[in-house]
Amino acid sequence: MIKRVVSQFEEGFLSLLLVSMTLLVFAEVIARFGFNAGIHWAQEVTLLLAAWFVLFGASYGVKVGAHIGVDVFVKMMPPGTHRFFTLVAIALCLVYCGLFLYGSWIYLSKMKMIGIELEDLPVPKWIPMSILVIGFVLLIFRFLQLGWKVVKGEADGFHFADEAEESMELAKELQETALGDEPSINKNTKEGK
Amino acid sequence: AVAAPVEIKFSHVVAENTPKGQMAIKFKELVDERLAGKVEVSVFPNSQLFGDNKVLEAMLLGDVQMAAPSLSKFQKYTKSLQIFDLPFLFKDMEAVEKFQQGPDGQKLLSSLKKKGLIGLGYLHNGMKQMSASNPLKVPSDASGKKFRIMTSDVLQAQFEAVDAVPLKKPFSEVFTLLQTQAIDGQENTWSNIYSKKFFEVQPYITETNHGVLDYLVVTSTEFWMSLDDDLRTEIQKALNDAIVYGNGIAAQKGDSDKQLIIDSKRSEVLTLTAEERQQWVEAMKPVWKKFEDEIGADLIKAAEAANN
Amino acid sequence: MTIAVLFITLFGCMLIGMPIAVALGLSSVTTILLFSNDSLASIALKLFEATSEHYTLLAIPFFILSSAFLSTGGVAKRLINFAVDSVGHIRGGLAMASVMACMLFAAVSGSSPATVAAIGTICIAGMVRSGYPQSFAAGVIANAGTLGILIPPSIVMLVYAAATEVSASRMFMAGFIPGLMMGFILMIAIYIVARIKGLPSQPFPGFKALAKSGVIALGGLMLIIIVLGSIYGGVASPTEAAAVAAVYGYFIAVMGYRDIGPMKGMPWKHEGEGVAAASVRNLFQMLVALPKSVFDPEVRKVILDASKVSMMLLFIIANAMLFAHVLTTERIPHTIASAIMEWGLPAWGFLIVMNILLLIAGNFMEPSAILLIMAPILFPIAMQLGIDPIHLGIIMVVNMEIGMLTPPVGLNLFVTAGITGQNMIWVIKACLPWLCLLLGFLMLITYVPQISLFLPEYIDQLKGY
Ligand code: NA
Ligand code: NA
Repeated sequence: MIKRVVSQFEEGFLSLLLVSMTLLVFAEVIARFGFNAGIHWAQEVTLLLAAWFVLFGASYGVKVGAHIGVDVFVKMMPPGTHRFFTLVAIALCLVYCGLFLYGSWIYLSKMKMIGIELEDLPVPKWIPMSILVIGFVLLIFRFLQLGWKVVKGEADGFHFADEAEESMELAKELQETALGDEPSINKNTKEGK
Repeated sequence: AVAAPVEIKFSHVVAENTPKGQMAIKFKELVDERLAGKVEVSVFPNSQLFGDNKVLEAMLLGDVQMAAPSLSKFQKYTKSLQIFDLPFLFKDMEAVEKFQQGPDGQKLLSSLKKKGLIGLGYLHNGMKQMSASNPLKVPSDASGKKFRIMTSDVLQAQFEAVDAVPLKKPFSEVFTLLQTQAIDGQENTWSNIYSKKFFEVQPYITETNHGVLDYLVVTSTEFWMSLDDDLRTEIQKALNDAIVYGNGIAAQKGDSDKQLIIDSKRSEVLTLTAEERQQWVEAMKPVWKKFEDEIGADLIKAAEAANN
Repeated sequence: MTIAVLFITLFGCMLIGMPIAVALGLSSVTTILLFSNDSLASIALKLFEATSEHYTLLAIPFFILSSAFLSTGGVAKRLINFAVDSVGHIRGGLAMASVMACMLFAAVSGSSPATVAAIGTICIAGMVRSGYPQSFAAGVIANAGTLGILIPPSIVMLVYAAATEVSASRMFMAGFIPGLMMGFILMIAIYIVARIKGLPSQPFPGFKALAKSGVIALGGLMLIIIVLGSIYGGVASPTEAAAVAAVYGYFIAVMGYRDIGPMKGMPWKHEGEGVAAASVRNLFQMLVALPKSVFDPEVRKVILDASKVSMMLLFIIANAMLFAHVLTTERIPHTIASAIMEWGLPAWGFLIVMNILLLIAGNFMEPSAILLIMAPILFPIAMQLGIDPIHLGIIMVVNMEIGMLTPPVGLNLFVTAGITGQNMIWVIKACLPWLCLLLGFLMLITYVPQISLFLPEYIDQLKGY
């Protein structure tokens, strides 16, 4: 139950960030071309949304296996070795996160101490920048979760997103609908096999 | 054992052949010559280390020791430096120089102290001109036109004062936007209009000399105070000499780039009569009033006095 | 030493299956910690800069979103219909039509495997039924599908533009002629094979039917007109045009074609309904559909899918910028460049070396990752040798196309195997003859820069620059 709420929140928030970015830039075009006006805070906000989108999304990407990597070699190994290397890889990912979390914390504290505001909005700069720390904490959490799954034997790798696999979804969808309204060439889709 | 030399990383965002790039190289040469073994300067041009927006933060973190962002970049660190963005405040670069070297200008260098930065000296680029897709002779020519500006409240107010539409767009997008006339105009110095090729896509440039585009060489208080007094004096001297050298190049380049633009015939260079210029001054002067509280009325007076 | 640590950590991390983004970031941080006195705080700052200070990069998520809306099944079918109606009557016409459909789809989508999946699913089966050998059909489609990244818009070109700071809109223009050319080369090859093997043709449906299928397909094809039109018509910058494309993608998929979303299945005009009544009804339904889209599972899925891919790419790019930052501060490209310059290679020799390097990399990695790692190293050398940055970009993109077809990591091979149900060896064999054609095309592109440069330079000339 909680899992579903968290998932929905993550998905909704990530989509919202992308959609707001798109609409904000689109609105700028409309304002400039249609109404001869500018939105003076649009640029800064769009860019901060982009930072949130990437840094918030990275951990969600680990959860759903949206990141890409080279797994041809580990996949050729026996399952035990594969899992061992995956655990090493996850440990290194945690090292990466730890280093960045530490650096981000110092950076953020310094910015908070100096206390300057954003260029175009009366908001202290450290607040939008806090996504650095939030993002890496979430990322650590997701890597630990994945590591635990590998230890328990529920997973053996990062389950990288496969553009090929995703494209196959499109193929499946087309095959399902092809029979109906395509009299010229698609009557016997299955004959290909 | 001999102590390791003090390391100064000088990070800037332009090419090595620009006045700022040349000044940085000169500074390195002078330090190498005078403080060999004690101080080592390495210059990183072309935003190799950091862009202008992040370099001050990196400086506060202690990873860059010197940089020279344009004066408009400091508006969130101190309000008083906004004075350099005020339109028609200085009549020429001599007045700018006179004000900067005077007591008030020098006092401004330490206005960043509260935020952990120290200004070490002003570096010139030059006076700003306006370019557009239509001829700008009187303020009403700019009315309703879209102008690209750097992020600065003063510059925004300056264009709003003549009923123009100020737009903030990243530098990387400006050329295309001007080329396709999605944006009508922009303001910049002769050397920037030339080096960024804006003159190829803007049919008219008006010699308004309406503002100044200068840089501030900065360092962090923490780093600067960590140096021995003698060393600090020597570094400051080398920097001052390098700035004089850089300013010389800037002045020369301003003139020669203007000539190159005229010779290219891609852009018509317009001059204003005294009368026309006065119209611009009157239209934009209310901006001074608007920022008087933030900047300080006395400071504005002192700057104005530099014209005489 | 620095070079060795940087690259050994990078490849080591990648070999044990770490996400590429993390591998890039970790190798950079390690190198910085070992060889420079930069603080971790400034590295975090650099990463934040990479995610929040590069406006032009935003074209990537915007185009991905637009592709996501337009890659829904219905668009592919309409494009195929139009292609079959136009060239189906020539000998080998169905195969040619498949190539043309791939080209059209490429003009809508920025991805190659998506092109293969969308067009291949219908076209391969169709060709087999009409008497083509299956391997012939599969080979044609897998190859024509690579055009997805050469014909604009193209995600790979945006990534190149981001890595080297060349203009994305000039890259797009530059890809146009090579893309058309490759398509025609494939069609000519098909015609020759069809003549020799006596492959069949379809009856011509008549100009009226052709015009009709053209108009129906136009909704998708308008995208390229909107993108290039808004850039060159003075409405938007390339980044803004991408956002416009994304909004257009939503409108055409949800309200135009109605293949997905809250208006699915609603006809534009009921039988017997007057034009006026239909207009009012449609307008009203569209206004209702707008807020409904927010909760529509299909629309949300498209956006989420686009979010995942964009975020993944931008996270790699941010880390790759860190990597490039280490490269430049440690003067690594400079070192490699001067080493290569010492060999005294002429431009043509360097291009051969570069092509071989990229082809090898293409065997193992995906295009964006290759470009982000290789471009900062190869670009400065090429500039010193006087190679045009746009031309260099097109050469790299064509290399990436070939990489889609080479084992063990070849996305188009995977998709083709998936839709034909054949094994990888069979697919590789089917693609091989066409792959040779693509290699010849690479040579052509490499040594005739005018093919890539003609259009961007011509447009500059038209505008008088
Ligand atoms: Na494309
Ligand atoms: Na490959």
